Amino acid sequence: MIKKTVRCPSCNNVLTFFGEPGQVIKVTCPKCSAEGKITFEKTYTSGNTAIQVSDLRKVYGELVAVDGISFSVKKGEIFAFLGPNGAGKTTTVEIIESIRTPTAGTVKIFDKDIFTSFNEIKEKIGILPQEFHSFERLTVRETLIYFSKLYKKRADVDEIIKAMDLESHKNMLYKKLSGGLKQRVGVAISLVNDPEIIFLDEPTTGLDPKARREVWQVIADLRKKGKTVFLTTHYMEEAEYLADHIAIIHKGKIIAEGSLDELIEKYGAGSTLRIKKCREIDAVDLLKEKGYNAHSEDNGDISIKIDYKDRVLEVLSNLRHECIDYESIDIRRSNLEEVFLNLTGAKLSEEE
Amino acid sequence: MNPRIIVSDFVASMKGWMRSPGTIFWAIVFPVLLILIFGAIFSGTDSTTYTLYVQDQDQSMWSHQYLAMLENISVLKVEVIPKDKNITDYIKEKDLRGALVIPEGFGSKINQSFYDTNASINLSFYYDPSDQGSTSVVRSIVGSSLQELNLGFSGGRHVVGMSQVSTITKKFKYIDFFIPGMIGFTIMQLCIYGSIERNTKFRKDGILRKLQTTPITRTDWILAKMLFMLFLSFFSTSIAIIVGILAWGIVININIWMIAIIIANSFLFSGLGMIISRFVKEEETADTAAGAISFPMMFLAGTFFPLQQMPQFLQDFARILPLYYVNEGLRNSMINMDFDKATFYTGIVVVFALAFFIVGILLTKWKED
Repeated sequence: MIKKTVRCPSCNNVLTFFGEPGQVIKVTCPKCSAEGKITFEKTYTSGNTAIQVSDLRKVYGELVAVDGISFSVKKGEIFAFLGPNGAGKTTTVEIIESIRTPTAGTVKIFDKDIFTSFNEIKEKIGILPQEFHSFERLTVRETLIYFSKLYKKRADVDEIIKAMDLESHKNMLYKKLSGGLKQRVGVAISLVNDPEIIFLDEPTTGLDPKARREVWQVIADLRKKGKTVFLTTHYMEEAEYLADHIAIIHKGKIIAEGSLDELIEKYGAGSTLRIKKCREIDAVDLLKEKGYNAHSEDNGDISIKIDYKDRVLEVLSNLRHECIDYESIDIRRSNLEEVFLNLTGAKLSEEE
Repeated sequence: MNPRIIVSDFVASMKGWMRSPGTIFWAIVFPVLLILIFGAIFSGTDSTTYTLYVQDQDQSMWSHQYLAMLENISVLKVEVIPKDKNITDYIKEKDLRGALVIPEGFGSKINQSFYDTNASINLSFYYDPSDQGSTSVVRSIVGSSLQELNLGFSGGRHVVGMSQVSTITKKFKYIDFFIPGMIGFTIMQLCIYGSIERNTKFRKDGILRKLQTTPITRTDWILAKMLFMLFLSFFSTSIAIIVGILAWGIVININIWMIAIIIANSFLFSGLGMIISRFVKEEETADTAAGAISFPMMFLAGTFFPLQQMPQFLQDFARILPLYYVNEGLRNSMINMDFDKATFYTGIVVVFALAFFIVGILLTKWKED
């Protein structure tokens, strides 16, 4: 039997229902008589699940910010919640962090409902809010001590400083730090209670490429320590570089979910084999005759779309067979930008 | 409530404050400077027009002539007190800083002086010595008018004189008036701007969102901040009192009313800051809004100048300003030691504080919509 707590979208009344996994029941709000359906998910809990979000919905007047999304995050993985600005990423993460109240849906962290057990959950999670700036007139070390004293369980502040490579800045006032260092301190703050899950909301927005790389390294190190990281980002490269699992959100809905390879394989444009400085004028026609999707580039190179890697050897073998000479080849893999383009018809960068 | 968290937040606030030149200026340097400067300036003051309250108990031709003479003095505005009123009660009731009484027998003594060279009579000038600015000027104008009167009918022989009656028993100076006002004003500034910083800058910087996801509760946080504001209020009050004693030799009475008003004042204006920052979310705009509210209070609530020096409509306006009751409460408790009045003003300030602070707390949300 599963317990499910929802908010009535009409009158905001909090209602609790019980049902079996997979069961769908019709419900009526006793306060305003609004009718609706409740689904009890089949994959509701798992011993390996850190976060379970089910049918989450957030409505502001006419605007549906989050439109009934469900997903789960496994323990120890970096989960990237990728989408353009305004897609619903921050609203979702702030509901999970209990900063906002959902219109409907449930969120469980370590199998505990956040709406009823958040005080207990607080001790197990660390959060870096979007565009976070700490107390300007405290030093890095004082800042970490301040936040650590809010928790029962505390990590060693000096160890965090060391791990975050902040030793040379630990006595500097927060306001005097660079943007990259401030974000590192933000991540460090989220670690003061030695959390099991770390939420990082757009941790590299506004940083230069070097600072962004530094923060990425910090996040990658968290995975090595067995932490679960929930990362929201609108940078494809960030998700590609860091994430074990990616959910793409667009206009409040999750439009694709999986590992990077899975997403590219399923929604990507395949890979492109580029033959540079081909000396045979009819090479494109020859390849087309062989059934390849080939075309000539402006600089004379030939691009061939290939859908799986064995095709590369096949193409090269055909070229040799036809005695077509060339200088070099390279293979370019499809990326999340193309995945997003194929899914939405728009580029992620253009949506921002 | 978690004392560990409250103490931790208090210590962090303290460190932040000690490193902020701006807040130290408002808490220490600004009041000290004003106490020194205003104390020096208002040891002698001037004004273009002064109100003189006069009670004519004689109602004779001579008293009417003298009243007309006073009315002809351009810098004086004469207000008549009805003859049947008890002068001391009237002064107290209307909170007057000075009043002149023409006693019964004034006219007959002047008539007598024409044939009896020993005949003389004194007018009574009731005054508030704490109002050094206007009262001393009015007193000297009245003195000059009497010289002129004597000169007119007796060739300068002393027939009509003036006896001075203090409306309060203690000798007060302007600085006695000013220091309680300065204390009330400084606490107001510290609390309004401190509250606005917490509720706008911290919200903008994501600190409130961050804290909401930690074990600190909103109650712990507000308690810690109020503890810090109370510390600042008493610290700033101590500085003002010490400077007042060392530089101007004032005598301060520290009592339960004074402490109650300082505490209530801190809650009152912290609550007002919360209310402002609820409706004005941008930090800069909220600062401007706070300035728009606190700046007029500085001049209109009897902080630097007695209300009696202002036009009647401004005096009426002052009575809707909470700082007026803070200032009067502090003066009556610390300086005048009029504990009936102190109790009255403390009660009003406490009511204001409860109203503003409760509304402020209700409007201060951590959770986003």
